[in-house]
Amino acid sequence: MANSSAAIPMRPFGKHADVKISALGLGGHHIGQAADEKTAIRIVHGAIDGGVTFFDNCWEYHRGKSEAWMGAALKGKRDGVFLMTKVCTHGRDGMLAMQMLEESLTRLGTDHLDLWQIHGVAFENDPELFIRPGGAAEALRKAREQGKVRFVGFTGHKRPEMHLAMLNVGFEWDAVQMPLNPFDSHFLSFEQLVLPELNKRGIAALGMKPIGGNGDMVKKGAITAEQALRYAMSLPVTTTITGMETLEVLEQNLKIAQGFTPLADAEMQKIREQVKQAAGDGRFEPYKTSLKFDNPEARLAHNFPIDEQSVEVKEMLKATQNEGHPWPQVTA
Amino acid sequence: MAAGNGVSSGAFDVSRRTFLRSAALSGAGALAGREASAASRTNREDQGETMPSYTVPRRAFGKTGEQVSILGVGGFHLGATKDQQEANALVGRAIDCGINFFDNAWEYKEGLAEERLGTALKGKRDQVIVMTKVCTHGRDKSVAMQQLEESLRRLGTDHLDVWQIHEVVYYNDPDLIFRPDGAIEALAQAKQQGKVRWVGFTGHKHPDIHLKMLSHDFPFDTVQMPLNAFDARFRSFQQRVLPEANRRGIAVLGMKSLGGSGEMVTHGAITAEEGLRYAMSLPVATTISGMDSLEVLEQNLALAANFKPMTESERKALEDRVRAWSADGRYELFKTTMKYDGDVGRQQHQFPAAEKLPA
Repeated sequence: MANSSAAIPMRPFGKHADVKISALGLGGHHIGQAADEKTAIRIVHGAIDGGVTFFDNCWEYHRGKSEAWMGAALKGKRDGVFLMTKVCTHGRDGMLAMQMLEESLTRLGTDHLDLWQIHGVAFENDPELFIRPGGAAEALRKAREQGKVRFVGFTGHKRPEMHLAMLNVGFEWDAVQMPLNPFDSHFLSFEQLVLPELNKRGIAALGMKPIGGNGDMVKKGAITAEQALRYAMSLPVTTTITGMETLEVLEQNLKIAQGFTPLADAEMQKIREQVKQAAGDGRFEPYKTSLKFDNPEARLAHNFPIDEQSVEVKEMLKATQNEGHPWPQVTA
Repeated sequence: MAAGNGVSSGAFDVSRRTFLRSAALSGAGALAGREASAASRTNREDQGETMPSYTVPRRAFGKTGEQVSILGVGGFHLGATKDQQEANALVGRAIDCGINFFDNAWEYKEGLAEERLGTALKGKRDQVIVMTKVCTHGRDKSVAMQQLEESLRRLGTDHLDVWQIHEVVYYNDPDLIFRPDGAIEALAQAKQQGKVRWVGFTGHKHPDIHLKMLSHDFPFDTVQMPLNAFDARFRSFQQRVLPEANRRGIAVLGMKSLGGSGEMVTHGAITAEEGLRYAMSLPVATTISGMDSLEVLEQNLALAANFKPMTESERKALEDRVRAWSADGRYELFKTTMKYDGDVGRQQHQFPAAEKLPA
């Protein structure tokens, strides 16, 4: 494994400055896409050896496989990492959230999480559903009181306005996750609208989708993977979470992250200029513009029509291996 | 968790437009009561029964000095009539009942929709306001002027009453339209040449994009936008764009009064009558509605001819009633998905065409 002398920089976790995490984080969705469990374990171990301490996951990734594989990989190594997973209530009750928490802890083979986040805030009324009596906000507080989670936060990739609404429901957030890449800086921009607010409040900012989630921006030659990752890591964030489903990708990312120094303002601006034209309509940020990265579970929770004849919906279902029906264990 | 709700029965076709069509028919079913088939009505007429006589009221068409019927005939659905004969009957009947607004677009049904309307209007052209839309989707003025000539030829006329920029739904569309040599220059030139009397734009995506178009202070005569009871509480054109258009005296053309697909009706969240009546009660010039059969036309005519505006408190009560279903945009998929974004525009913006997406 890449194990150069230079370490991955460690950054303070928002206002909890005594807690430090690696500037590169390992994405949980892609770990479930590794060739097999053995490969997944090797990737996780390689990341730890390379200096990654932040591990992302989610209750609903690959129907639990991502959490189970990461749990297996972390056996004996749990205490050396900062472990995050997400809860998938999508507006439903706090009781359901507590049930999901127990499942996540079991799969991950641990008695506590470092960070527990509300997954995929994607609907304009999610903030209202979150904070309502009996909503997921109560679960987050309870889990924190019980010592089952140290910190709490939320994630989403759809719209900066929804993030701002979540920030304004009157809840004590420790972390917030959002897509950050050069294209985002021009289009419905989390960088412009949300990041400064997090920095101001001392909330740990977790970047994701540095190459747009599906890497289309790289495949179509709009930017290189290295440029995009360096850009994202140079923003005022605590960590940048990226998916690594092979040892090769891990290797490339470690090379960039180890001994990383942020790009100068002028270099950042140059990258922004380079992508400006292609960024304007969101063609490389499908998580904002289409259903491609949306979640059928969330749509079902919102009673959204899942019209399986629609190509866009088919694509969404395919991406998450969901048949358009709720998972059997989610009945609350 | 309402499992199963919304999981399609497969009744809807992949094609957005076919989808609209089938939903419009379901919406028609919801009005019920008078759902005689075309055949049975013909029989009744043969037996000497006459069609009811309606007069659809009119309103000021912005500050143009014209009067427009409060109900307009949508062009896409006209292109979806089963043949020219049905289109002729539909247009003729609509005009007889006082409808004088006809919508269309250069790209509807690859020109068939404009041809159907042009043929149906033979000898009646001067009685109506003919609108069509130009589909540059970011391309330059010359493309627009070329499309104008094609539209005029298909519509069988030497001038349009209204020419609008179609489907302003991408966030950089306003920049592309207002760039030097952009489509906005075509609007100005065509108006100056007398080929079009009034100009405007349309879109269904986000109020921000409409406001960005209006921020250029171009003298638009018309603007088209989705207006329905669900829009009132979700990315709201009614709250944000309508007052600005009213302030400037721009004629507002409402559309998607039943959400485009009519799902809000078929799922029982609202009745077709409530939905249409709500939309028509807003400070708009006209409400454009898709009608691809004489049955749907008759239902809409009855509603429009007997139209009594909802009071503000009636509207508020309806908004409150549907609040839970409007807050996440589930019945306004034109705002929340790409389903209603046409292939020509997707191509120009380098988004994959619907049929090319892996599925």
